[in-house]
Amino acid sequence: MTGRHHIELYNNKLKYSFDIKRNITVIRGDSATGKTQLINMIHDYSELGSDSGITLICDKECVVLEGRRWQENLEHISDSIVFIDEGHSFVKSNEFAAAVRGSSNYFVIVSREKMIALPYSIHEIYGIRERGKYPSMTQVYNEMYNLYADNSRSVCEYPDVIVTEDAKSGYQFFSRISEDTGAACIPAGGKSRVLDQLIKLDDTKKSILAVVDGAAFGPEMEETMNFIKFHGNIMLYTPESFEWIILKSGIVSSVSDELNDTCNYADSAIYFSWEQYYTELLRLLTRDTVLHYSKDSLPEAYLSKANKTKIMQVMECVRFRRV
Amino acid sequence: MKAEKRRGFPGKQVIMLNIYFGDMPDMIYNTEVYFRNTYDSKWLISDMAKEMIRDVDKSIVVSEHCIDSPVLGQIPPERLSGGVKTLLLLLNDETKVFNASTCGDNCAKWILKIAQNRELTIRLGHIMDFGEERFSIRILNNGVIVNNMKDLLLNAHPYLQEAVE
Repeated sequence: MTGRHHIELYNNKLKYSFDIKRNITVIRGDSATGKTQLINMIHDYSELGSDSGITLICDKECVVLEGRRWQENLEHISDSIVFIDEGHSFVKSNEFAAAVRGSSNYFVIVSREKMIALPYSIHEIYGIRERGKYPSMTQVYNEMYNLYADNSRSVCEYPDVIVTEDAKSGYQFFSRISEDTGAACIPAGGKSRVLDQLIKLDDTKKSILAVVDGAAFGPEMEETMNFIKFHGNIMLYTPESFEWIILKSGIVSSVSDELNDTCNYADSAIYFSWEQYYTELLRLLTRDTVLHYSKDSLPEAYLSKANKTKIMQVMECVRFRRV
Repeated sequence: MKAEKRRGFPGKQVIMLNIYFGDMPDMIYNTEVYFRNTYDSKWLISDMAKEMIRDVDKSIVVSEHCIDSPVLGQIPPERLSGGVKTLLLLLNDETKVFNASTCGDNCAKWILKIAQNRELTIRLGHIMDFGEERFSIRILNNGVIVNNMKDLLLNAHPYLQEAVE
């Protein structure tokens, strides 16, 4: 599935209105905000249609997945938006992750579990809140809000240490930046090790910038942000991915449509996360050029003074020291 | 780990809340279904239950069988929020360990309150925010007692890394 799909769902007491635009959306937050009511209404409409007394407007079929036969049931669902309520432990399993990978469905999962096997985006973790009441004063209007929206508004000035997820192209770029800025660059050894690395640096009191792929860092976000809350010296920078930064910088041909409306291009049946889409797009756009992109080894052409400057300009929320 | 390891030294601190992070055998994971099939309507009319329902669900207990919700009108206990259902299980059923990851952070203070009256063990699959005030929680995975959120996070983090096969 591709695209952004708007959902309007209401009965005489509750109304929900939101967009779903990636293969995995996670809903969590406080109790009693209406998460289970949302799933119950989707379930009732899915069973009885308009005879349920519920109105559901969406260009895709919306269904609820539950129970021990989830795997078998999912085999018969395609090109749909699949909702899963909390209390179903299969969402944490590798089997479920395998079923999501390559699926033509989008999944909306209500769960506070970490779900480390799923590469969900930090931009698709939502809470539900009441927006107001409709004129009849009996219908409550609920909306979804991004739980980590504030993160993108932070600024990091003159980091002493840069922590990257791994030792691949992003690390290679930031290592070279480090030569110009005097900052040390440390690869964490995977996204699930970023927090471990920050914990190791806990007592240094240095200014630390952690650069992670926001497109797939969702499972680590809650713990990492909880840790950073106690450390004013750490900033988490969460672009979609390093490849997204390069594409945004303009050093490759213009791809503004693909970047602005990635949901229209990143087919859930092909890409497990948008990070994979950006990597593939960059690889295709630079094929047979000096910028031929490889995640394992960043070509020297990206590290020319002009290209380095353009890439760094994308990172508006980071100010690097000049040495 | 910075928190003090005090297994085997009773008397210093009375620990009433134990948390197991990750999956443990025989726990009740789907508290919604378990509540629906096991709750006793008398659970609803205790003072603490009424306070919890008022605080978390913003609803008033009318009787053993009826709750007045500002959004849904008069509802049966089965339609309380998932968080309150889990709190009611924690409050009333001492025979099981329940998955408290069905509770939002707005339930955390109630979990601490229930644990003031009796030893309580819960399971978590995420970091619940127990607030900025000092507390005493034993992390069952490693036996460490923690008193603040930072130490809770540092000690729980390694046990939340495991996927379920």
